[in-house]
Amino acid sequence: MSETNVNDELFTFQPADDTASEHIASPQYSYWRSVFRKFFSSKLAIFMLIVAGTIVVISIIQPMISGYSPMNTPNINNSSMKYIRPNSTYWFGTDDKGNSLFDAVWAGTRTSLFISVIATIITNVIGVVVGMWWGFSKKVDAVMIEVYNVLANIPVTLVCMILVYAIGPGTASLIFALCVTSWIGTAYFIRVQVMIIRDREYNLASRCLGTSTWKIIRNNILPYLISVIMTSISRDVPAFISYEVFLSYLGVGLSRETASLGQMIRDYSPYLTSTPYLFWIPVAVSAIISISLYIVGQTLADASDPRTHMV
Amino acid sequence: MRKYILTRILKSILSLFAVVSIIIVMIYTMIPRTKIFDNDAGIKKMKGDTRTIYVYRKYAELGYLEYLRKQDMCLEVFGDGEDYTACLVNESAQQHEAIDFYINKGYALETLKSGDPLVYHDYNWLELLGKFYGRLFRFDSKNAIQDEGNPDLERKYYWGKNPDNGTPAFMCSGCEYKYQLYFNGKFPFIHQHFLTFDFGESYPTSVGIPTTQVINEGQGAIKNSDQTFPTGLEQESALIQTSCKYKVTPDHLDEKKFDDHYADCLSAHESPSMVSTSYIMGIIALIISYGFGIPFGISMAQHKDKFRDKLGIAYINILVAVPSLAFIFFMRSIGTLLGMPDKFPQLGFDDIRSWIMPIVILALLNMPSLMMWLRRYMIDQVNADYVKFARAKGLSEKEIFRKHILRNAIIPIVNGIPSSIILCISGALITESAFAVPGMGKMLPNAISQMNNNMVLTLTMIFTALSIFAVLLGDLLMILVDPRISLTSKGGE
Amino acid sequence: MAEETKELILSVKDLEVKFKVRDKVLTAIRHISMDFEKGKVVAIVGESGSGKSVFTKTFTGMLEVNGTISSGEIWFEGKDLAKIKNDKEWEQIRGKKIATVFQDPMTSLNPVRTIGDQISEIIIKHQGKSKAEAKQLAIEMMGKVGIKDPELRYDEYPFMYSGGMRQRIVIAIALACRPEILICDEPTTALDVTIQAQIIRLIKSLSEEYGFTTIYITHDLGVVANVADVVAVMYAGQIIEYGNVDEIFYDARHPYTWGLLSSLPQLGEKGEDLFAIRGTPPSLFEEIKGDAFAPRSAYAMKIDYEQEPPFFRVTDTHYAKTWLLDPRAPKVDPPAAVKNLHERMLALTAKGGIYGER
Repeated sequence: MSETNVNDELFTFQPADDTASEHIASPQYSYWRSVFRKFFSSKLAIFMLIVAGTIVVISIIQPMISGYSPMNTPNINNSSMKYIRPNSTYWFGTDDKGNSLFDAVWAGTRTSLFISVIATIITNVIGVVVGMWWGFSKKVDAVMIEVYNVLANIPVTLVCMILVYAIGPGTASLIFALCVTSWIGTAYFIRVQVMIIRDREYNLASRCLGTSTWKIIRNNILPYLISVIMTSISRDVPAFISYEVFLSYLGVGLSRETASLGQMIRDYSPYLTSTPYLFWIPVAVSAIISISLYIVGQTLADASDPRTHMV
Repeated sequence: MRKYILTRILKSILSLFAVVSIIIVMIYTMIPRTKIFDNDAGIKKMKGDTRTIYVYRKYAELGYLEYLRKQDMCLEVFGDGEDYTACLVNESAQQHEAIDFYINKGYALETLKSGDPLVYHDYNWLELLGKFYGRLFRFDSKNAIQDEGNPDLERKYYWGKNPDNGTPAFMCSGCEYKYQLYFNGKFPFIHQHFLTFDFGESYPTSVGIPTTQVINEGQGAIKNSDQTFPTGLEQESALIQTSCKYKVTPDHLDEKKFDDHYADCLSAHESPSMVSTSYIMGIIALIISYGFGIPFGISMAQHKDKFRDKLGIAYINILVAVPSLAFIFFMRSIGTLLGMPDKFPQLGFDDIRSWIMPIVILALLNMPSLMMWLRRYMIDQVNADYVKFARAKGLSEKEIFRKHILRNAIIPIVNGIPSSIILCISGALITESAFAVPGMGKMLPNAISQMNNNMVLTLTMIFTALSIFAVLLGDLLMILVDPRISLTSKGGE
Repeated sequence: MAEETKELILSVKDLEVKFKVRDKVLTAIRHISMDFEKGKVVAIVGESGSGKSVFTKTFTGMLEVNGTISSGEIWFEGKDLAKIKNDKEWEQIRGKKIATVFQDPMTSLNPVRTIGDQISEIIIKHQGKSKAEAKQLAIEMMGKVGIKDPELRYDEYPFMYSGGMRQRIVIAIALACRPEILICDEPTTALDVTIQAQIIRLIKSLSEEYGFTTIYITHDLGVVANVADVVAVMYAGQIIEYGNVDEIFYDARHPYTWGLLSSLPQLGEKGEDLFAIRGTPPSLFEEIKGDAFAPRSAYAMKIDYEQEPPFFRVTDTHYAKTWLLDPRAPKVDPPAAVKNLHERMLALTAKGGIYGER
């Protein structure tokens, strides 16, 4: 059973090396590196990131060059300029007023993006701050849960429409209406997450050791919330785009002076059979922006969840 | 438990009133009131004082203000006498006295072109709410009708029969409605008139008709049926006898049919009402979406990260991300290719093809969230200890999913079912707009764009009440489904 | 290693289990061979992360998704369990032939299904009984594990049961189909001390009645001393010592076993520090050279860093994997703390401790 080719000299005691036995050698781990590795491992996400990036850049730059406004219709009496099908000069063709649809679409995209990004930022900043406070303080919770019970029951679309109706249509009032109706949802979402981790053993331990609440929030809870917040953002951006589109479609969102994808879809829906490109191009653009931003957001949210870094 | 349910109901009612009150105040104070005439064709033909008085009358009718013209003012201040006659003369001392009386009470004065004075008082928010809620509930009683022309009106409750189907009906003489409680085959099968809601009349569309009637009454052509009237007359008629109200002056046609004053009836229509239209559409779509969504959700969770899960996630992601408007129009054009109409009224209520695409679209729109949540809940359960133990017991994955995980994951889904069912009533905003379906969903945006304030309020109140009620019902349903709740006193939260 | 004449129920040969973690490979079980005799109570002891749970999970094919059996054989009733790939075959083994009782009874039962349902479903499944028959058998089983008024409690839900009662139900479910082997994965860790003894006694008496083989996974040597026939000590994914319970407690040979025994808190003398094995177990992400315990061992020799020790035979039933048993190694006496250990343990329990009679 014993080995014969072993040197007898090997059978002498050798004191154990304390440092060696304390050595922990699990694979090296860096949070942000893992996030990036995870994100860029998805080809779809990379593709969508490029698509979303391109759309954002074009929709910022192109309207500045074209200076498009729906109220500005120099060709309205020139029937040869109307309903030109997409060609090399007018990439997306021209509309019923003789304006280039290409200009209109990007101006509309800018409006939609602007509204949804601003509304997302406001909603999430308010939602996260209130939600953390809400989740952390039992006193605040007692009050807020009642407020939530009242507000959460109200159909969001209805309130949104009525708010815009009451304040009057426009970009600012649409953003206001979107934020007023959605911040509490985000706050509630964050509250639940905070509550889940607030009472985790490591936070209880941390509190026992005298760490201040603020420090626990900053060091223990906020990092955990990154993926939660990312999830919320990735849902909000397309949701707000969708809201803008359909409120404008119903005629209760923006004023007529503002170019917007929703208004274009509404205005051009009668042309669905005669000049379908007028209708389908804004529809397609709104779909592409939403889906690319959503996929990027979702992948980023997944990637920023440390639990996905295991495998 | 009972205490929990009671407080829940109380809180629900409270939040309903809070929401509706906020919206009333917003609508009456924040929107310039001149806007309500934007869609009134009649006013464009009016000029001068006629127009001014029309405007004030409408404002008063819609609950913005109260106003008094010369005659009312003088009558109120001086009574019927010499001073009253003097007061009617413009610029007279008496008239000034009357005007001052009202100005001191906080009224404002407007002098018409004819020189006649008119005083008015804008309601503040408290009065607005008072007026709204004061009018809202109408309790019927046997002393409700006070008709000087009919002093002998009998006042009694009695049992009779529903003339449509012969079931017993609780009836009243002296009430506003003849049939107080009756049964028929229409949802919710038991109907009552003890308490009715008055949201005012619709304006500027469907002028003069109560908003509730606009929503509830059938649409399309009048539908006749053979009926026997209280006088014994047998005739083809569209009247719905159970809806009859007291009529002060019945005409000779009424007298042929009815032996009393209850002759003010609604008519039956060929097509369902706006509510029913939305409801039929919504319920069918809902059944389809649950029928497919739940098995799909289970199957996705069961085959996590496999092909069908990825396919399902792609579907969910597309529907979550793509603006629903774009999706609806896309589906609608597919429907057109398959020979479906792109507008509901093209073929109308009777043609099944009118219904197919809206229902399919609604079902497809409902499914993603159902699938996503069910899948999420199930996957959350997959690593639970009881699942490991079930596996160690030798159950197959299929059995574990159907018998163990589903039972747990379905609980939050069940919680949402009442909401889904009840909210079908509120219709599908975008789908109905895209297909021009004459249902509830299209009404709110229409009411808003027509500045039909009473209609907006009616719909707000109905939708909010329904959704609050639905959440409550969902929570109560949980008590039935989740054995852990029934014995703890805390309940669903 | 064990004598071939004994009736074997389960035989593991050269088993290796690997896990994939963040693109790296962790070897959780490093070439274990072990035989389980029919009807015996085998205890597998070791500290957290030594691989004792992973080892037994391979018997029922319940490794986590990122774990695989990379080599080796597990023979049970003429079948190599390591080769089973589909769930259909596992269903015929899990619950029916090899049952498992988990650590936490509070979460082992489905909260929204009745107790009775959860017992009878497995009887219906594995024994093909009708619903009514299954209910009868389930009620019988509930009585067996000491539930009073089983008929009345049949339709109750888990939340209406206490922790100890739930563990009884878990045992009832595990034994409902008369398995050959019962794996108890730290069955009492989550329970109150007083309940622990009851549960252990229950398993013991049921095993005598039904004659199944019990495999205990535990780090509680107190439990081991009272119930086990055979003890296997695991360290860093290997079994490093193996023997009858007396041999392990009286005559342990591996320095790690010594350390483990010395650190029993029950043996601590008042006023003295408790013994602790210094250091931490080695990383299983890296290949281990020599004896895995060497860096923590006070008795490490040069060869321990060079070559992995083979199993040395102590008696026919007792083997240890340490170079100290090599004839060329210097003679070493075990530490005083582990001498006469067994008597002291029994003396302790006689005073009304938690272990009950053996």
